Amino acid sequence: MISYNDYPEMKPGKKLVKKIYVWIIMLVFGRAFQAASRVDKGAKAEFDAMPKDFMLDFYVMPNGPHMIVGKDEKGRIRYYGWNPAGKKITLYMGIKHLEAGIKMFTFQESSCTATARDRIEVDGDLPVACGVLRIMDLLEVLLLPKIVAKLGVKRYPKWSQMSPLRKWTSRLLVYVRLTTG
Amino acid sequence: MHLPGYYEFCCRVKTISGHSALEKIPGALETLGAKKPMIITDKGVQGAGLIKVLNGAMKGSRVKVGAVYDSVPPDSDIKVVHTLAKLYRDKGCDALIAVGGGSVLDTAKGTNILVSLGGDDLMHYAGAGAVKRKLKPMIAVPTTSGTGSEMTLVAVIADYERNLKLPFVSYFLLPDIAILDPRMTKTLPPAITAFTAMDAMTHAIEAYTCLAKNPLSDSAALIAIQLISQNVLNVIKNPGDMEGRLALANASALGGIAFSNSMVGMVHAIGHATGGACHVPHGVCMSIYLPYGLEYNMHRNGHLTAELLYPLAGARVYQATPRRERAEKAVAIIRRLNQDLHDATNKRHARSLKEVFDRDGKQMVTKDKLPLIAEKATGDASQFYNPEDLDFKDFMFVLEAAYEGVPLDRRKVKKG
Repeated sequence: MISYNDYPEMKPGKKLVKKIYVWIIMLVFGRAFQAASRVDKGAKAEFDAMPKDFMLDFYVMPNGPHMIVGKDEKGRIRYYGWNPAGKKITLYMGIKHLEAGIKMFTFQESSCTATARDRIEVDGDLPVACGVLRIMDLLEVLLLPKIVAKLGVKRYPKWSQMSPLRKWTSRLLVYVRLTTG
Repeated sequence: MHLPGYYEFCCRVKTISGHSALEKIPGALETLGAKKPMIITDKGVQGAGLIKVLNGAMKGSRVKVGAVYDSVPPDSDIKVVHTLAKLYRDKGCDALIAVGGGSVLDTAKGTNILVSLGGDDLMHYAGAGAVKRKLKPMIAVPTTSGTGSEMTLVAVIADYERNLKLPFVSYFLLPDIAILDPRMTKTLPPAITAFTAMDAMTHAIEAYTCLAKNPLSDSAALIAIQLISQNVLNVIKNPGDMEGRLALANASALGGIAFSNSMVGMVHAIGHATGGACHVPHGVCMSIYLPYGLEYNMHRNGHLTAELLYPLAGARVYQATPRRERAEKAVAIIRRLNQDLHDATNKRHARSLKEVFDRDGKQMVTKDKLPLIAEKATGDASQFYNPEDLDFKDFMFVLEAAYEGVPLDRRKVKKG
C-alpha cells in the first residue's frame, strides 16, 4: 500500500540572488522617480498629469519585491519604500514573475517589448500606467550609459529631442539626489 | 515567421456566423440560462428596421424581451450606462443583446458590469483588472463590419461631465456569443461600409506589424486582410452582395480577435486623438492614417509590411513583385484602395484629413487642431506597441502629411 509519507510536501525553491538584484534595481528606480520629479522637466510634466491620489505599487509577482511611489499631501512625488501595507494603492503594475523581472532589469528586454509580451499586468488606470512606463524609459536614459540604455528604450533620444544640457544636468542632479536622499 | 519568446492569446467568444445566424439566438440564450433579455441598440439600427428582423428571428421561441433601449448615442456615455442598468433591474432582465456598432457594444459591456457586479457608478470599475468575475450573459450582434468589438475585452465609455474617456479592460468583458449575420449590415450606407471595413483592415494590419504580434493573432489578421481586400469594393458597388457582407462581418471579427491579442500601434494612437479632438469617426481616421503608419515604421518592420502584399493583392502580384519592392507596393495598394473607395462612395470616403466633413459640410479637422491632436496622441497607450517611437514633433510630422494627403517623406523619420 502506498504510504501518505511517500508523497512529501514540495516547497518551491528560492532565487535569492535574483530577488536581491531586482530589489536593488527597484530601490534605485524608486529613489530615482522621486529625484527626477524634482529636477527633470519631462518627468515633472508626466507626474503633474497624474491624479492627486497617485500611489503606485510596482512589484514582481507573486511575493515581491515591491516599489511604492506616490504623491504626498503636497502633491510631491515620494518613494515610499518596499512595503505596500497601509498604503492606499491606486495603480498596481505587476511583473508576472521573477525571471521576467530579471529580463527587464538586466535590459535584455526593453519595457516596450516586456509590455508587448504581456510581462506586466496592470490593475488601475491605463493612461497613468503608460505615464509610469514613459518615466521609466526616461530614467533609463538618465541613469544608464547610452550603450545599456539603448537596449532598454525603443529610441534613444537624439540631441534634437533632449538637449545635452538637459540630459547632463538632469543626470547629475538625479545621481546627487539618489545618493544623498 | 515571427515567433515571440513569450505571448498570451485568448479568444473565448462563441461565434455564430451565417445567413440565418440570428435565428440561433433563442437557442443560444437557452444555453446561457437566460429567458428575458434586454435589447440595447441605437436610433439608426432601430430606424433601419433591424430590431424587427431580430424579433422576427426570435418569433415562436420562449424568449420574452424584457426591454428595448434604442437611444445609445454615437459615443458611448456613462450616463446612458447608468440609465440602462436601472432599466435592466426594473424590468427584471437576465441577459443582454447588444445590436449595433462599437458604441452600442461598449455601452452594453458597461451596463453588464453594473448589473452583474452591483453599484450605481461605473467609474468604480474603470481601468484594467477591476472586473474580476463572470458577468451576465451577453450576446453581441454587430451591425457594422469594423470595430470587432464583439471579439474584444475592451470597452471605452465617455464621462462627459469630467471630459474623460474611460477604458475598461477585462477578459470578462468578452461577450458570450457573437452573431454575424449579413442581414444586419445590409442597410449600411456605402461610405460607412467603406470606413468600417478600413477600420477592420487597420486592426488586422497593425496587429500583424506591431510589437505584440504572435502566430495566433497573425493567422486571424492575414485572413481578415484577405477577406476585406477581396470584398469591400464589391459590397459597395453591389449592396445586395450578401456573401461579400458575410465575408466582411467575418473579417471584422477576425480583426477584433487579432488586435485584441496583439494590440495596435501609432495609427490607433493618432486615430484616438483625432476622434477625441475633432470627433471624427474612428474608421475614417483609420483609413486616412493607415498608409502613414506603415510608411513611418517601414525601417523597423518593412519585412512584415512586405508580407502584407500577399493577402492584399494575391499570389500573382506577390510573386511578380521583387522582394525589396513588396512593402512599398503594399502601401501603394492601400492608397489605391482608399482612392477606389473614394470614387465608389461618391467622394464621401476621405483620403486626407482636409477631406473630412461633417453632415453640414463643415471641415472637421482644421490645420490649427493638429497640435492638439499630436499632444493627445503622445498620451495614448497604443503607441507603446508601435515599432518606432514617436514624440510630439513626430506626430506633427505625420499629421501634416496626412492633412494634405501626400506620402510621408521617409528621409525625415527619426530612427532609433
